[in-house]
Amino acid sequence: MAAVNHGALQRRKGFLKSLGIFLALLGPGFITSNVDNDAGGITTYSLAGSEFGFALIWTLIPITAALIVIQEMCARMGVVTGKGLSDLIRERFGARPTFYLMIALFFTNLGNSISNFAGVAASMEIFGISKYLSVPLSAFFVWWLVVKGNYKSVEKAFLVACLFYVSYIISGFMAKPDWEQIGQEVLRPSFSWEMNFVTMAVGLVGTTIAPWMQFYLQSSIVDKGLKVENYEYARMDVIIGSIAVNIVAFFIIMLCAVTIFQAGIKVETAKDAALALAPLAGKHCTWLFAFGLLNASLFAASILPLSTSYTICEAFGWEASLNRKFMEAPQFYGLYSLMIILGAGVILFPEIPLIPIMYYSQVINGILLPFILITMLILINDRRVMGNYTNGPVFNLISWITVAVMIILSAFLVITSFF
Amino acid sequence: MREVLKKPSQLFQRMLYIKNLEVLSMKMTTNPQVFLFLSELLGKKVIDLEKREWGKVFDLVVSLSEPYPPVIALLCRHKKEILRLSWKKIIKIEAYFLTHSLTPADFDTLQLKEGELLLKDFLLDKQIVDTHGAKVLRVNDLHFLQVDHTLRLVHVDVGFKGLMRRVGWGKFAEKFFQWFFDYQLKDSFIPWRYVQPISSPDLLRLKISQNKLAQLHPADLADIIEELDVYKRSQVFQSLDAATAAETLEETDPKIQVRLIETLNPAQASDIIEEMSPSEAADLLGDLPKEKAEGILREMEEEIAEDVKELLVHPDEKAGGLMTTSFAALPAETSVQEALKFLRQEAENLDVIYYVYIIDAEGHLLGVISLRELLTAEPETNLSNLSNPRVITVGLEEEKEEIADLFAKYGFKAIPVVDEEKRLKGVIPFKNLLEVVAPKLGK
Repeated sequence: MAAVNHGALQRRKGFLKSLGIFLALLGPGFITSNVDNDAGGITTYSLAGSEFGFALIWTLIPITAALIVIQEMCARMGVVTGKGLSDLIRERFGARPTFYLMIALFFTNLGNSISNFAGVAASMEIFGISKYLSVPLSAFFVWWLVVKGNYKSVEKAFLVACLFYVSYIISGFMAKPDWEQIGQEVLRPSFSWEMNFVTMAVGLVGTTIAPWMQFYLQSSIVDKGLKVENYEYARMDVIIGSIAVNIVAFFIIMLCAVTIFQAGIKVETAKDAALALAPLAGKHCTWLFAFGLLNASLFAASILPLSTSYTICEAFGWEASLNRKFMEAPQFYGLYSLMIILGAGVILFPEIPLIPIMYYSQVINGILLPFILITMLILINDRRVMGNYTNGPVFNLISWITVAVMIILSAFLVITSFF
Repeated sequence: MREVLKKPSQLFQRMLYIKNLEVLSMKMTTNPQVFLFLSELLGKKVIDLEKREWGKVFDLVVSLSEPYPPVIALLCRHKKEILRLSWKKIIKIEAYFLTHSLTPADFDTLQLKEGELLLKDFLLDKQIVDTHGAKVLRVNDLHFLQVDHTLRLVHVDVGFKGLMRRVGWGKFAEKFFQWFFDYQLKDSFIPWRYVQPISSPDLLRLKISQNKLAQLHPADLADIIEELDVYKRSQVFQSLDAATAAETLEETDPKIQVRLIETLNPAQASDIIEEMSPSEAADLLGDLPKEKAEGILREMEEEIAEDVKELLVHPDEKAGGLMTTSFAALPAETSVQEALKFLRQEAENLDVIYYVYIIDAEGHLLGVISLRELLTAEPETNLSNLSNPRVITVGLEEEKEEIADLFAKYGFKAIPVVDEEKRLKGVIPFKNLLEVVAPKLGK
């Protein structure tokens, strides 16, 4: 080991050395961003493309920017403090606010978890497999992956899952889009005050920037043990991840725009969208689309329960580690199992209305998000927490504007959901 | 084994602790004792005898000089200024803090003196180490015993009940659990004597006697260190003395070992690594960046550094990487008496003490004698008379699976490693191989 290691160290030099470090540190940001394209996200993108064509595609540019701004703050907090977000919240704001925030986070994430198992059910039905088979199997798979695997193997599995998002890019090309027209649409933002249009725009933002991601990203950065010296790599990771996720989003919207929107077909779910693709772009395109949905749903369904239980246990000082036995960490395993059992269990009810479930889980996300973002901004500007790594004036202005816009949009989403 | 040993002492400590509390309360009681929580005290108004309001309490200061720290002052916010008021001014605690008549001159500046601790700032909602249960926990509340005028910190509340009380649902949670699960929620307190605060580096830099981490077994310390965040990890690690640090490091995950050592300068690091067994030290140095490892080796005592360098050349999976160089090798002419004397002197530094190896002037392995044989032999006998010339050895390049088979077959506690000319290069203690094989046993 020793001799081999020294040899390897000597060979890594200059550019190769940086690349090596980057690849070694790549992961948290990239995975977090991608997992963000979960079942809810893909549904929203396909509906945006099917209903409004290219009209909304420009929003992906400001969304990417906002995602980078917000995730960069999380990454920075993780690297500088070495603590998870819920840890910081508990130490800075005390027991009561933390308690309510964690309760809200639990229910929000339970909603997301349900919507991801719904995604599994929908995509497997395209392949002709009943949800009564696919959902229990996938719940078992998720449990097995995390409980029987270790951090390294799980991260590798997740990075592979990230690669499978390429299926959306391939299916995008299968539809033979007119690139010139798309270029024009991106550069010429269109907007309408029509209710459906605004709701859809808000939905796009809401599905891309979710509360739980901030917790997950920060703790995976902490888990990786990134040091302040390596911060630039963490930032690159976040930026690349944020761009990658929006490229996938772009291809989904585009695919639905050139096929379903132009054919004037009405769809309500990602499954409808996948099925509508068959006569327009071929059977293979449908399969790829469904496969992408399955991958995304399973991926998010694996991460969400785990991330939620870690976050909550960290806030309350409960033992939280996959290396412990059940009785040594009962709260951790309890929460984890509850999320999977409830998440998958709800889907197994016959006649369960999946579309409202997905929609309302986005709405709860929207309610919680402002609170999380504001606590983040307070924390990142606190010198006792961040030392010399607080936001500069310019970045602070950008992040407050981003957060303000996010809050207005989320408030809008929440209010419209009640009328 | 440790578990078994732990119990009587646990019981004893518990008894001692109860006794302490009794003494503590007997000494000063004439009045009834009252238990109070920090969460009940924070936020109360400070009002003097003339009914003037002097702000709200937002933190308490204790002095760590006593085993159960007394509260010596409180902090209150008065006209946007944070002021410190000595505990002597307090008459009693009711719905508010009643004090003697105050003038602004009665307040001190905020400055903390040595051995003083801000409870809310450094303990409440922060992590602590429970040195008795060897766990990292989060503080939900602090529990005081009030006797006459003195308020002493006696317990740290880490339980669910305390959390619910903080949230404001204490009564509700108690009733709910009683009604729904027929379960009575219990307080889970940790006596202050088992609590080591870790939220600030200053608290760890206290005198060694006050650093309660010293009560922990290195294996437990290693578990705790692995659970902490990067910064606390190195603070806790640096608060240990070199010998404890070395033992703890041996029990820590290799990745974390590297990070911990990287935070130290070469001089500090070498002090700790010298205390480790050479094979563990070599594994660790092999994982460090080359410049760092060389820097540390330069700082180390030459003799130890040479041993470690030799081990560094060999890969982990082969005999050369598994062996240790601290074993007993003596010439054949040595008497049993001298050999035993040698063992007694060197035992502290030897990784393998069960066998004495017999070598000639060039270092060729001639035979082996077990400790049992040495102890039962006549003191004047020469080792050459006892030596067992049929020694099972392995080469430097032997794979670990083969070595494991040898251990299984012969039941040795250690196997010597020789080069092509049969010169003794090192010894593999069974323990080193266990670390290689054990992870596979479960699968």
